[in-house]
Amino acid sequence: MRINFKYLLSSTLLIISQSAFAQMNIFTCEPEYAALAKELAPDARIYSATTAMQDPHQVQARPSLIAKMRQADLVICAGADLEVGWLPMLQMKAANARVRSTDKGLFFAADHVKTLDQMNNVDRSMGDVHSAGNPHVHFSPQHVLDIAKALTSKLIQLDVNQRDSYQQRFTNFSERWQLAMAQWQIKASRLQGMKVIAYHSSFRYLFDFVIIEQVADLEPKPGLPPTSSHLASLLKQAKKDDISAIIVASYQDRRGADWLAEKSNLPVVVLPLSVGGNEQSTDLFSLYDSVLDLLSQAYILQK
Amino acid sequence: MKNFQFFPPRLSAVISNSLVILSPVKVSAAFILTGIFPILSFAQTPTLSNLTVSAVLDGYYQSEDRLMTERVKGFGLGETELAFSASIDDMFFGKLTTVFESHDGESEVNVEEAFIQTMALPNGFTLRAGRFLSDIGYLNNQHLHTDAFTSRPSAYRAFLGGHYFDDGLRVSYIAPTDLYWTMGAEAFAGDSLRAEDETGEREFDSTGVYTAFTKIGGDIGIESSWQIGASYLRNENGQLSPEDHDEEGGEDTHAHSASYTGKNTLVADFVYKWAPNGNYKYQHLTLSAEYFRVSDFMLPELHDAHAEEEHENEESNTKDYHQAWYVSGVYQFSPHWSAGLRYGKLDSQLQHDAHFDQQTLKETELSIAWHNSHFSTVRVEFSHQSNVGFESVENDNVITLQYVMAMGAHNAHQF
Repeated sequence: MRINFKYLLSSTLLIISQSAFAQMNIFTCEPEYAALAKELAPDARIYSATTAMQDPHQVQARPSLIAKMRQADLVICAGADLEVGWLPMLQMKAANARVRSTDKGLFFAADHVKTLDQMNNVDRSMGDVHSAGNPHVHFSPQHVLDIAKALTSKLIQLDVNQRDSYQQRFTNFSERWQLAMAQWQIKASRLQGMKVIAYHSSFRYLFDFVIIEQVADLEPKPGLPPTSSHLASLLKQAKKDDISAIIVASYQDRRGADWLAEKSNLPVVVLPLSVGGNEQSTDLFSLYDSVLDLLSQAYILQK
Repeated sequence: MKNFQFFPPRLSAVISNSLVILSPVKVSAAFILTGIFPILSFAQTPTLSNLTVSAVLDGYYQSEDRLMTERVKGFGLGETELAFSASIDDMFFGKLTTVFESHDGESEVNVEEAFIQTMALPNGFTLRAGRFLSDIGYLNNQHLHTDAFTSRPSAYRAFLGGHYFDDGLRVSYIAPTDLYWTMGAEAFAGDSLRAEDETGEREFDSTGVYTAFTKIGGDIGIESSWQIGASYLRNENGQLSPEDHDEEGGEDTHAHSASYTGKNTLVADFVYKWAPNGNYKYQHLTLSAEYFRVSDFMLPELHDAHAEEEHENEESNTKDYHQAWYVSGVYQFSPHWSAGLRYGKLDSQLQHDAHFDQQTLKETELSIAWHNSHFSTVRVEFSHQSNVGFESVENDNVITLQYVMAMGAHNAHQF
């Protein structure tokens, strides 16, 4: 009886310690990469530093994030300077050498795709622009596929024992994603030529994929909130052009958009910036579905 | 001035002149900055070494003098700084922060940070060496230009000389737990925290200050975050010697060094932040409070004399420690506007021959700031100080106007 108990205890401890060891700790800067990590490494312990209701530019290097990064085996962020205000501070405070360089456990999505709107000459009078290009790359379906592929290689590099499992996961994801892409393409084709006023360049890649024209920005300059004089100039434009909707992201303030909507009779469409930005968006697939459905509704109503 | 002058005055003049060849006479800190500006282009096109360059411009107008502040009445430059940082290699990170200040028409160039830090020690350990900001308390490791008020609370001004940076070594450790838990220890030269030495004959320990600190923090749901900390500072050179007659507190309006010192300093700090949905872009609230207690500020023989007199004079209300605390609330109610309210109180003991008089300073500050962008702030602050026992300053209202603007590399969003 005593021996049995001892055996039981030690084997339980062994299982616990082994599973704790095998479980990879993944820290992501944004929820879209937490969702992608979940597709490729569903057994990992995944933590997202932000939600779709938060501006990923303006995050505080708060204690809980430092503690999570301290334990991470892999850190996945958008890159292209999106997290420049808080990621370096977290890395400094977390004292975790495993996730400090992209040679090891750090992964920047934007490193693996060609970003739009790269600029050679950037200065602050232009607003908070990123010379490395627009970092909100997760709304390009092709980019997501490329990033998934690169992330699979990263996972294998860090955890070579599970190489086959990661590869299998990627193949599975890739097949489902390409199937979905075909359907999104059909939906997108019905939206082609839609003109919108949007807030920030959060949906630059989505508009590029669907071929929607963002004729104006609620922000006078990137990173600066709408001003009344800027909104007044947008109102003139809204009446002139053939605009279908005012688009804001789930984390953005609606006040400017609501004012403009009231004066111009245009609908305000709140699109989820990422997974979790509305009830429908529970993973990357449903995020795309939801965004395209919301845009379709607005476009049909306007016609 | 006496402690943190990095270059001897003559040398700093030579350096200034080499940067601004056309002005051989006295060079203001602003001119020195313009001389260095071309380097700032690095910020946009990182070189191979990925050097990060940033400059913060800080200027002010203050209607009256305030006790124990570096900023004096009238126009002046605050903490106008130029900072360089980069990973040195895979093992080390380095940072240099130079601060330009002007007081009464005099310019100072000081080095506030010049440190290396390890990047690859295992198990959550970090070593930092050189000159750096001590990690005690909540505010001390933050740069002045990130503050919501134009000057540090009286606790910092009285006991730490505004903010305490020094030459030394730090080892810190962060635990691998979901609850944030860090702890560390530091050793410093401690020149700026030495007790007054009027005779110049006193022997000081060359390594005078040792600290230990710990911080714990976490989130409450998605909207709230908190951190509490406790720190201890031991100052081998902090005790008054019998020949001292006056502490400098209240007399000097421009001081880098601590006005009140003691052997043991305890600090407790608390901060709480809240943002709707955890989204800091539009609104957020920061509440913070700190308490300082400085004890053992007399040498034992002095203490005996003090006790004797105490015995004779029962009405005396002096204590054998200094203390100070503040509470502060800052609400950013739109991306463009924020407002802060702070109340602080300092109780200190001023030495007169062999007895001590209690002094009390109470300060209430209201600050309103306009932020055109993430990088620019213009602030107006109304401050009311009322004091008992301080000699040189009457109870007063002070209005301060200030701008703080950052160029170059993005400033960090420290908690």
